[in-house]
Amino acid sequence: MSTCHPAPFDQRGILLAKRNPEVKCSVFKASYAHVGNMVRFKSRYLLLELCVSERSSLQLLNEKAISQTLKAAVNRAHGDYGTAHLNIGVLVKYLNALTGVVFIRCRKWNYRLIWSALPFITCLENRGQNVPCFFNCLHVGGTIRTCQKFLVKYNKQQLNRMLLDCKTDDEKQEVRRAILSCSLDYLRGEEAHEDRSNDDDDEEI
Amino acid sequence: MEEPSKFERYVYKNASVYHYMKISLVLENGNRNISSAEFKQLIIRGLKDLYGEIGASFPFDLLKFDENELTAILRVYNSGLVKLWSALTLLGSYQNEACAFRVTQVSPFLLALSGNSRELQFRDQLAS
Repeated sequence: MSTCHPAPFDQRGILLAKRNPEVKCSVFKASYAHVGNMVRFKSRYLLLELCVSERSSLQLLNEKAISQTLKAAVNRAHGDYGTAHLNIGVLVKYLNALTGVVFIRCRKWNYRLIWSALPFITCLENRGQNVPCFFNCLHVGGTIRTCQKFLVKYNKQQLNRMLLDCKTDDEKQEVRRAILSCSLDYLRGEEAHEDRSNDDDDEEI
Repeated sequence: MEEPSKFERYVYKNASVYHYMKISLVLENGNRNISSAEFKQLIIRGLKDLYGEIGASFPFDLLKFDENELTAILRVYNSGLVKLWSALTLLGSYQNEACAFRVTQVSPFLLALSGNSRELQFRDQLAS
């Protein structure tokens, strides 16, 4: 390892490490041990849409119910081996009760196993109530930010589709305003929720 | 003087699509009457416990089964060898009775399972 660092490359190497901490540093490790171990922890985020027949039943669900159902489904589909995979770094990160967007975080090497068990989930259980549903996988991303970008684009497409279904002018105005205000910089946190809840309001009318 | 026999050596990377395993079932309370279908069902149950419905969904065949000795020859695709072998290792009970699978031989060629150096008999050579 020490032979593959010619002198002018050293400065560039240090610059690279400082500017972009995500670079995989196996080449730099030997000489730059003082900078720290910068091999990146890779995970995959599965963006799912939870489709239920009645929107109101979505309000009852929480992350725990989904993770329990996921565990049961992976146990049935992949046995003890699958359950072991699930216990390593799989987490239901986020659930939007209004639109049914679920965010699951998995490791890079086991996300396909968990993904393959998702079509077999037919109902969710929460406090004794069965909610029949199915999961629709929208996107697989490497970071939360890429998934958020995709979600904004996807919601824009959904709003465009709803614009065609709108009956009154007021609804059309509201939907147009929502579409125009869609952008990642503008929408952070609560604004993102607002956009998705507009989505929900128009559909109920 | 006979000429020295020539031999040619072939080296294959992926020699065969299948792997063949010679196994035997050892029960705690001695031998019982197990039919070939029950034997295969036992192995499938072990696979399903460890790898689930999807994981255990690869096909394997029971080529030969000896009811008295409870030995068998299985055939499995290369991709399923590790799963099958690990499931056989971790199978612990048959009808609430402790049991164990002993894997005698594994080979990508069925011909290799016909001879086993453990069963070799030197009687003729010793006599001369």
